[in-house]
Amino acid sequence: MKFKHLVLATSVAITGAAGMAAAEFPSEQPIRLVNPYGAGGGVDIAGRILSSVAGEFLDTRVDVISIDGAGGQEAINLVRDAEADGYTLLLTDYGPLVTTALREDVSYDLDEWVPLVQITEVAPVFFARADGPLTDMETFIEIARDDPGGISVGHGRHLSVPHLPLILLEGVAEFETTHLPTTGGAQALSFVLGGQVDAGASVPSTIAGGVGDGSLVALALATADRVEALPDTPTLQELGYDVVLPAWYTIFAHRDVAEERKAVLEERILEALESPSAQALAQRSGTDLVLLGMEDSMEAYQTTIANLEAILADIDED
Amino acid sequence: MLEFLAEAAALAFTPQVMLFALIGLAIGVTVGAIPGLSGDMAIAILLPLVFVMDPVPALGLLVGIYKGSMFGGSIAAITFGVPGTAGAAATVIDGYQAKLNGQPNRALHTALYSSIIADTSSDLVLIFLALPLAAVALMFGPVEFFALYVVSLTLVAALTMGKVARGIAAAALGVLLAMIGRDPITGGLRLTFDIPALSGGIGLIPLLVGVFAVSEIIVQAGRAWMRRAERTVASIAADAEKSGYDVAGDRLDWRTFRSTLRATFVGAGMGTFIGALPGAGSSLAAFMSYGIAQRFSRRPQEFGRGSLEGVAAAEAGNSATSGSTFIPLFAFGIPGSATAALFGAALIMMGITPGPTMINDNMAIIYALFIMLIYANLFNFGISKLLLPLYSRLAMIQPHYVLPVVLGLAILGTYAASNSVKDVWLLLAAGLLGVGLRWFGVPLGPLVLGFIVGPGLEQSLRQALMLGRGDWMHLLQSPLAIGIYLGTLAILVVFGLVTRRRALHAKEA
Repeated sequence: MKFKHLVLATSVAITGAAGMAAAEFPSEQPIRLVNPYGAGGGVDIAGRILSSVAGEFLDTRVDVISIDGAGGQEAINLVRDAEADGYTLLLTDYGPLVTTALREDVSYDLDEWVPLVQITEVAPVFFARADGPLTDMETFIEIARDDPGGISVGHGRHLSVPHLPLILLEGVAEFETTHLPTTGGAQALSFVLGGQVDAGASVPSTIAGGVGDGSLVALALATADRVEALPDTPTLQELGYDVVLPAWYTIFAHRDVAEERKAVLEERILEALESPSAQALAQRSGTDLVLLGMEDSMEAYQTTIANLEAILADIDED
Repeated sequence: MLEFLAEAAALAFTPQVMLFALIGLAIGVTVGAIPGLSGDMAIAILLPLVFVMDPVPALGLLVGIYKGSMFGGSIAAITFGVPGTAGAAATVIDGYQAKLNGQPNRALHTALYSSIIADTSSDLVLIFLALPLAAVALMFGPVEFFALYVVSLTLVAALTMGKVARGIAAAALGVLLAMIGRDPITGGLRLTFDIPALSGGIGLIPLLVGVFAVSEIIVQAGRAWMRRAERTVASIAADAEKSGYDVAGDRLDWRTFRSTLRATFVGAGMGTFIGALPGAGSSLAAFMSYGIAQRFSRRPQEFGRGSLEGVAAAEAGNSATSGSTFIPLFAFGIPGSATAALFGAALIMMGITPGPTMINDNMAIIYALFIMLIYANLFNFGISKLLLPLYSRLAMIQPHYVLPVVLGLAILGTYAASNSVKDVWLLLAAGLLGVGLRWFGVPLGPLVLGFIVGPGLEQSLRQALMLGRGDWMHLLQSPLAIGIYLGTLAILVVFGLVTRRRALHAKEA
């Protein structure tokens, strides 16, 4: 009898303590959402959407901190060096976190990071001038095979989100083009429109206007599904090329953060971003919310790592 | 077009935006009037603030500062013979003489009117030229952009008055500093000397604020004697005032004003043209239009002896650069002056990329900016007319009260922009660099322009070579690019001849 009481008491104490811990997190201490870009960019805006609705759903403030030093490593190191209590989180795309880690010496291993919530997905898309010879992806690949390097493709920065699918596609479909790094999508667009470059690789928001007014043709998307902004554009998979490499903006925690806290954060952040006020903010800022929980975003994270490893190994061989 | 105008007007005419433009004007006139502080410095320090603000009020603030400081510079020039800003250096010649002749009020009013007229006409040129030029800019690929970058760097260096070699050196140093960090084509690290803090390159804010503001503060702090010099100037001023100042005779009547109009128009035309050239600054514009107005004047002999025409020509030439200096930025995304570079940085921070597609992509915001450029002139006119008697006191504020505050703001602003202490160290290092350069008389403008233009220069060169499959002759296969190179050559030759003739004239006189 006494023993049973003891067990009961202990279990009450344990559940009580666990319950208290859950109630305490997050407490009034603000959550710092650190991102490796300057203020005003896409990642920063995604963070600010969460920040503006956080009070209601997370019971505390979410401060967006933009640190673009050292190519993003300063932000990542700040999160890594902070106490693993779930109050300091990382919001990033794969560029600074994964691409840099695979190419340079960095302070962390990729499996130190656990994705909590994917906020959005950005679809790489290939495009050309509507009045040019590159009317669809099949023609593009045919011409590129006949004249290796003859087609030039402006694709944003080296190894950027639209560049990597181009490399992957060239491997899969066996053709070769001249890759022209540009300062970003806007420059790639203006060179394609001006006829100095044959084709471009960018994201739907950059080219949707040109496709709408008939000056551009969107050739293909490097995503699993078609996107709302370009409903008539096929995916590369539909065309028979297995190239799926979307970019994500995802919130990461360090793996040392307690599992219950990760779960609380996942649940509350998803709830916050699903709220009508977050949806309205996203629409106003042109952000397409594609929300994924821990499990699915982990899968997306690992697929990206595998794809990038393959692409980078390929480049190093050349 | 019309619906954009309505939308733009709705953005520009809110009380909040107008208030910010007014605050900007007040800050601008103040920093312009205090020798040692400049509008560029104020804008650089406020950059970090810009990205927490909405674009339109932020632009209103910056426009106000810019325009206010343009005119503010002439206050110190006329009242104390010390140019408040570089652009006002030519105003000193006749403005201070006019003051000593007992006509400070006339000179200040002449400066105000010619400033406003020239500024407004220059803004109109910008508004009507930027859009058609931006349409032409779509014909520009890497080859043509490279030509434009080469031109702007050459002009920056060559038009640096009397210091061509130093100008070139400063521009080259700027390009070199911009190359630290990541290679734009391969993404690899370079010139970082294994310092992790440098792997992302040198930030624009620490460099700009450091070179412009911090170095100025350090220099001023080290110049205790300057205060004594200023006291001397002030006592001369007081003497002039005691020697029988005729208040009634010092009012700018319509006839006198009309006699300065010709000089104002010469200055407006000259300043607008020079302002549109990448690299030529407002002080060059002021001196050029001063020289030309003298040639066209009915009373050239009065120039240098307190001629109001001289004041009008210098001020008009100086102020007329303020609209046209944005033409290369808005049409091609290439900043033609330090101020345009600062505005470009501010636009980038607001998510607006300067370049051929900028106006079309942000029609409402850009037209709101155009509207603000015009109404800021009207505000400036109204307020300055009202407060002109008080303004000359502004120029008496001792810099050593203001500078520590400015230094604090510079450090705080830089830290806030990147959340990084490293940038504060970089800021101080850039400040020391600025001091060193000033010591050797190296102009700072070309350095900053080189830093800002450098990445585009490199990128367009390498893009052009990639498209031309490594053939350097590819750079000369575009008629447009060849035209640009020839046009620059022509400008350099003309300016060379004009300067030489002026130098000869000066010798004869």
